[in-house]
Amino acid sequence: MPANTRRLRAAALALVALTAASATAACTAGSGASGGTGTTDTLTINTSFVLKTLDPGRVYEATGVTTTHALYDTLLTFEGSDVGKLVPRLAESYEASADAKTFTFKLRQGVKFSDGTPLTADDVVFSLNRLKNVKASPAVMVSDLTAAKSDDRTVVVTSAKPNPNVPVVLAMSATGVVNAKVAKANGATDAADAASADTAQQFLDKTSAGSGPYVLKSYDPNSQVVLEANPNYWGTKPQFNRVVLRNMDVQTQKLTMSRASGAEVSLDISGKLLDGLPDTVQTSGIQDTVYYLILNADPAVSPLTSNAKFRQALRSAIDYQGVAQLFGKGAGPGAGLVAPAFPGTLPAGEESKRDVVQAKALLAESGVTDPTVKFSYPTITYRGVDLGTVATKVQGDAAEAGIKLELNPQPLTTFLDQMRSGKMPMGFTPQSLNYPVADSLINNMAPGAGSALRAGWTVERAAPSVITAGDKVVATLDPAARAEAMKDWQREMNAHSPYIVIANNSGMNVATANLTGVEYTPAGWQIDIAAIGSKTEAR
Amino acid sequence: MTTVTQGTPGAAVTAAPGPRPRRRRPVLAYVAKRLVITIGLLLGVTVLTFGLVQVVPGDPVTANLSDQALNDPAAVAAFQAKWGLDQPVYVQYLHYLGNLLHGDLGTSQQTGRAVAEDLLQYVPATMELAIPTMLLALLLGTGIGMLAAVRNGRLTDQLIRVGALLGLSTPPFWLSLVVLYLFFYRFGLAPSGGRLSPGFTPPDTVTGMYTVDAMLAGQWELAWDAAQHLLLPILVLTCLTVAILVRFVRSSMLEVLGQDYIKAAYAKGLPTGLVLRRHLLRAGLVPVITVSGLAFASLLSGTVLVENIFGWPGLGQYAYRSASALDLPAILGASLFVALVYTLVNLTVDLLYGLIDPRIRIS
Repeated sequence: MPANTRRLRAAALALVALTAASATAACTAGSGASGGTGTTDTLTINTSFVLKTLDPGRVYEATGVTTTHALYDTLLTFEGSDVGKLVPRLAESYEASADAKTFTFKLRQGVKFSDGTPLTADDVVFSLNRLKNVKASPAVMVSDLTAAKSDDRTVVVTSAKPNPNVPVVLAMSATGVVNAKVAKANGATDAADAASADTAQQFLDKTSAGSGPYVLKSYDPNSQVVLEANPNYWGTKPQFNRVVLRNMDVQTQKLTMSRASGAEVSLDISGKLLDGLPDTVQTSGIQDTVYYLILNADPAVSPLTSNAKFRQALRSAIDYQGVAQLFGKGAGPGAGLVAPAFPGTLPAGEESKRDVVQAKALLAESGVTDPTVKFSYPTITYRGVDLGTVATKVQGDAAEAGIKLELNPQPLTTFLDQMRSGKMPMGFTPQSLNYPVADSLINNMAPGAGSALRAGWTVERAAPSVITAGDKVVATLDPAARAEAMKDWQREMNAHSPYIVIANNSGMNVATANLTGVEYTPAGWQIDIAAIGSKTEAR
Repeated sequence: MTTVTQGTPGAAVTAAPGPRPRRRRPVLAYVAKRLVITIGLLLGVTVLTFGLVQVVPGDPVTANLSDQALNDPAAVAAFQAKWGLDQPVYVQYLHYLGNLLHGDLGTSQQTGRAVAEDLLQYVPATMELAIPTMLLALLLGTGIGMLAAVRNGRLTDQLIRVGALLGLSTPPFWLSLVVLYLFFYRFGLAPSGGRLSPGFTPPDTVTGMYTVDAMLAGQWELAWDAAQHLLLPILVLTCLTVAILVRFVRSSMLEVLGQDYIKAAYAKGLPTGLVLRRHLLRAGLVPVITVSGLAFASLLSGTVLVENIFGWPGLGQYAYRSASALDLPAILGASLFVALVYTLVNLTVDLLYGLIDPRIRIS
């Protein structure tokens, strides 16, 4: 009998057996329930995948950033949830020039890639130049930077303009260092035409080429990613030999964590979903996301939302405490555009407060006769909160002050497209920082910047005091002084900008109680997989 | 000159040796014709899908690039050039068709892989759910439907009808959550989701269906783990599919039960079991085949909500994710596959008619 026929017959028999097995599995399936595992040294991380690639030159989505942080080393990093203090990783030290344009990194000795070859300055330069030239989503972080090798252990990064945030940028997962030789052999290039010439993504989605604590075992962007401990890792070996990141709906995550007893973590249970979790789990979170309204400042788009008095009336009408309660545990009323997790956030006591009488007075001052505006938002649930619920609350609050908001729920892509077209009178969206430095907001939200222009907020339409406050931040090179200047900038933004921050919400990690090192970090990678250990036994 | 005269029976036929009369193969001709129509249909699907993606509000660039990258014209231009979005729509379409003729379905913007490679991975996952679901649903749906028909108007019939109605009106995501809550959370009888427990590694790919591949490889522990992960999604899908079939089987059987030949069979004193098997089942199944075919095609097309809740990486989840990100090559690939499935299932159903009921012939 030909082999193919035999195989076909075997497959047909197996299919019949599959049906029988499926029908009878209920009788004896208990042994495999609650995520039973075949090995004992596996850490399971449940998350609703936002994943397109594990190529550090292209990685931007949350799940990809979390994973690549464990696969690739960066020059610097953050530990735990503290994003105020950089710590060395590949660079044992660095120096910044007084004008914040030149940064010199001294590389650690003895670092090897997972294939055993030494990591050199050439690999660092290649990786940074490739990131810049591939021109994918994370490239904007390094678009003003140039990397060069000084000697085998020294890399000099220069910025076209003063930028004290360069060391922070070089801690982000996208700046992870790839093995240049391996990457080049598989289609990578750092040349100026890398956007079209680099074809390494497919390779790097299947095989990691880094020096991080883990290596990539398997990758399926819709199902699961499996990591294994890097046998050649130069640093402290991670406790778990195997890590499985599973794509899981958030409701299923909650049920799973309610029964979990092994080494298991969930990354998406937050807000109201935290209610009812058993004592057998631990939680860690910090407020790192702001939710804000956008009111278009262009009179051609909306004479109403471009009216400064109207904007202030709406600002006074919102019940910030009530909105925060909708978000549940870990949320707080809005204050400024910088979330509490980051240096430069407005201090406690400066949260926005509701004053309906003042709102009505401001509305009268605005001279608006028909205070009706279309209020668009994406029909998504973000961090356990349905944005429609929040929008409805805002609508109710505004109505009490005489402002009529017509809800306009939209699919996410439609909402993004409209928002970015600059033609949306009023919108609502969450925002997290691309890298954990508050003043990065100025590049995007200050008058005349990219996002501001999409809200019709040109330099000409902005109050001079906002521009001055922004310029002061940019001109201040000392990080602590910059953070202080950011507070003033936010106060000016609250007074004059087309943005109304309504709430802050927390990212949250939920883990079984026996795990250590599961702190939520607002650094971008949410959890440091390699830092996770077990209290019960060394694995 | 050779003359072949085909006349009335018994008429003389004068024939010299010549070419043998061509044997007519109506079924083959019919299948060939349908396959040709399928090609046209698939072409139509590409036009329609391409057109729809163009008119749907939303831009692949904004759906795929970060907010800050959108402010960088170089990043936007690089994305557009990479995916051919800088070309006029008709050029993009012709380019796609050209590649399609060479068997290239393009590359997914979401996964960065060839769409064909994606389909080869995700379709078997969906088939692993769809095939056992359909087999179970046929077994249960036919049995319960016949029971309801035979017990027409009695309590059993009433209960079955209410059950079927409930099954039809139950939202799949709700049923999935209830099943998860009961069988995973409350009783711990089944895993919560995914295709395998975290400690297991997928078997070597033969069919792409983990349970089957594990059995073929003799990895029984792995096969059992994979089968357990099938349990809850199959339970949900079977409930929903059975509800559809029961109603059709019942009404079809009721129609046949009223036929004279059934009454005659009973009058002759034939045992009930024999009447049901020999006469009722065969005749009553013909309309049911159509519904079963459509239900099977629907299962093969992916069941987005069920796949999503159970973390099942099948075609439904792939298609949904692609649509959310306006990933045109993946949307087109999934659409073509679904169109092909429906066409082939319909063709199979039409052919099955003739096999099950000899009164039906393809003319």
